[in-house]
Amino acid sequence: MNVVVCVKQIPDPADPGALDPESKTLKRDGKLILDESDSYGVEMALQLAGDSGEVTLVSMAPNGEVSGLRTALAMGAAKAVLVSDDALKGSDALTTAKVLAKAIERAGSYDLILAATESSDGYTGTVPEQIAEVLGLPSVTFAKAVTIDGTTVKVDRQTEAGYDEVTCPLPALVSVTAGVVEPRYPSFKGIMAAKSKPVDQVTVADLGLDAANVGWAGAGQEIIEVAQAEARQAGEVIEDDGEAFNRVVGFLSDLKII
Amino acid sequence: MYEWSDEHLMLRQAMRDFIAKEILPIKEDLEHGDTPPYDVLRKLYATFGMDEMARATFEKRIAHEKAVAAGEAVNDDKPSRHGGGDAGYTLIPIIELCRHCPGMVTAMGVSVGLTASAIQAKGTIAQKERWVPQLLTLEKVGAWAITEPNSGSDAFGSMLSTARRDGDEYLLNGNKTFITNGPYADTIVFICKLDEGNDPKDRKVLSFVLDRGMPGLEQSKPLRKMGMHSSPTGELFLTDVRVGRDRLVGETEEVSKGGRDGAKATFQQERSGVAAMSLGIIEQCLDLSIEYAKNRVQFGHPISEFQLIQQKLAMMEVARMNVQNLVFRTIELSKAGKTMTFAEASAMKLYSAQAATAVALEAVQLHGGNGYMAEYQVEQLARDAKVLQIYAGTDEIQTVAIARGLVG
Ligand SMILES: Cc1cc2nc3c(=O)[nH]c(=O)nc-3n(C[C@H](O)[C@H](O)[C@H](O)COP(=O)(O)OP(=O)(O)OC[C@H]3O[C@@H](n4cnc5c(N)ncnc54)[C@H](O)[C@@H]3O)c2cc1C
Ligand SMILES: Cc1cc2nc3c(=O)[nH]c(=O)nc-3n(C[C@H](O)[C@H](O)[C@H](O)COP(=O)(O)OP(=O)(O)OC[C@H]3O[C@@H](n4cnc5c(N)ncnc54)[C@H](O)[C@@H]3O)c2cc1C
Repeated sequence: MNVVVCVKQIPDPADPGALDPESKTLKRDGKLILDESDSYGVEMALQLAGDSGEVTLVSMAPNGEVSGLRTALAMGAAKAVLVSDDALKGSDALTTAKVLAKAIERAGSYDLILAATESSDGYTGTVPEQIAEVLGLPSVTFAKAVTIDGTTVKVDRQTEAGYDEVTCPLPALVSVTAGVVEPRYPSFKGIMAAKSKPVDQVTVADLGLDAANVGWAGAGQEIIEVAQAEARQAGEVIEDDGEAFNRVVGFLSDLKII
Repeated sequence: MYEWSDEHLMLRQAMRDFIAKEILPIKEDLEHGDTPPYDVLRKLYATFGMDEMARATFEKRIAHEKAVAAGEAVNDDKPSRHGGGDAGYTLIPIIELCRHCPGMVTAMGVSVGLTASAIQAKGTIAQKERWVPQLLTLEKVGAWAITEPNSGSDAFGSMLSTARRDGDEYLLNGNKTFITNGPYADTIVFICKLDEGNDPKDRKVLSFVLDRGMPGLEQSKPLRKMGMHSSPTGELFLTDVRVGRDRLVGETEEVSKGGRDGAKATFQQERSGVAAMSLGIIEQCLDLSIEYAKNRVQFGHPISEFQLIQQKLAMMEVARMNVQNLVFRTIELSKAGKTMTFAEASAMKLYSAQAATAVALEAVQLHGGNGYMAEYQVEQLARDAKVLQIYAGTDEIQTVAIARGLVG
């Protein structure tokens, strides 16, 4: 069982940096780390691949960044494909999906692709499904449990009311929700080994893509303005005359909470 | 080495995550309750595969020693004590744990460091295989007992504990005090003098390995003390404890330099550990102090704007840089397969311990009344830091060792 995991490397949320006023995007010149959202996918992949299979990471990030990949390699992934290219600056989610799809093809044979439902920084929550579409694979979202049964994958798909049991043929793409497994700590041995695990760093051209179709050039979106969120309105103060609970009940039922 | 490598930083982050999740929630019980630190330390070892790695390193070393004994290998290029030959893997956990619970490091260091090393350095192959792996993995808790009520700095001169021959066996007697892990130890290295009816100052120093529960061995309850509360410290009482030669470290009375050099090698290792401990305490005190100084407002200004406060922070930073450089030097030396001279290790220990205590006390000062309250962590770190100037050889004893290196 070979599993490919999409891992995004993001600015450290503890040290979030700033927006670039020019491009109106997050500055990504500092060191990037493994998105915590993706640590669940890595853990699940390691569990599913077991001792016989292999976990391959796929990531697209600026400046040849590997710190986040090394963390996932230290957890136990075998190898990685990293797409890094100045031409990718400004890539929207669809372009990202196209690039990652190519990178996945380059990663070798696989039975399953895992991603997080949404990243911690961009959180459009659309890349995984777009990758599946580009690769012509079935995709299952919001997985809280994943089991492999021969040539099919069974997924408990989280819903508002509980969960659906979904079965679909392999290969498939599954996006997993945060917190569904306990990501392991990298062991000392894993950390030492991570340095020498292969990271295949490629450019847009290496993937057979045209630089004119990615990055700002290929983006189907434009960032027009970045503005402060509107200040919150002052709340309503209700003096309790002994009947205030009715107001509270009314308020909650307006919100359809009760 | 002038900065931590990417691997070191990854390890540090993993340690921080573990500490936040597994240690901080139970810190109150470790520092102010009766919870000994061993279970959570074992969890740390298992989580990061430190136990497995220690066992593998041990097996490699024993295989090498056996090959040397059989004349199939030579004794240089001994496999390193540290994983992958990088002492950073040993020191980073020490630094990170010391930011929160220096006591845990004391307990851990005495067990996997002092006790295991004492047997590893001078024991026979059979003795190493019998006791060392379980100590290195923390499966068993170790204690190393030299100090006595009337014998501290003058450890060998005033030592009263004795071993007397009794047929093929020995009878051990004596009291030990201030023994880290004493109350809970499974395996104890007991240092005493061979009593042949001769003048005590001419007696050989021997070490014996004892197991918990041996007849005549009593382990006290933890003593109450100023700091390092997550490290249980106790007394040992031995009354005619009968042991065979298999428990005499090295299985011979013919110990070089009368047995004093074995204990001395142990002192040296202990001294490098103290630099890493100091660094953890200093880093934490500095971080907490910067945060506090920026947020505490007096006279209409954050106190970080007052020059007298800035001076405190600056001096803490100087100490941090110096001690970090000493830690880097330790790592570099071990990578090169070298060790410090005894005098240099003493100088490092003296400086680091004094710096940690000074920084921690200044951190208390900077926190004002809050700094004196247990609610603020600097109060604990100041109590913990002080012992670094006392155990593993007092400041004064380190000073004597440095001076001896200079003027003979
Ligand atoms: C203005 C702008 C500038 C950008 N500049 C660059 C740039 O210079 N270089 C560059 O490489 N990218 C760049 N990007 C791409 C960006 O980093 C995201 O990868 C992309 O927009 C996906 O958006 P998201 O985070 O909302 O994905 P989501 O759909 O929320 O992500 C869901 C999951 O998909 C996977 N995934 C998403 N993105 C990646 C990824 N990049 N690698 C691996 N897995 C992923 C992860 O598993 C993630 O958890 C830029 C994007 C924008 C909008
Ligand atoms: C928390 C803790 C844990 C410990 N753990 C262990 C352990 O695991 N195993 C163990 O065997 N011991 C342990 N010890 C004991 C420790 O090593 C001794 O306390 C230390 O060596 C000092 O000995 P002492 O207490 O007898 O002080 P003393 O030797 O009586 O010293 C009293 C004072 O006199 C000074 N002094 C002594 N000689 C000289 C001199 N020649 N010149 C100038 N000044 C001098 C000292 O520096 C000190 O200031 C521990 C102690 C503590 C506090």
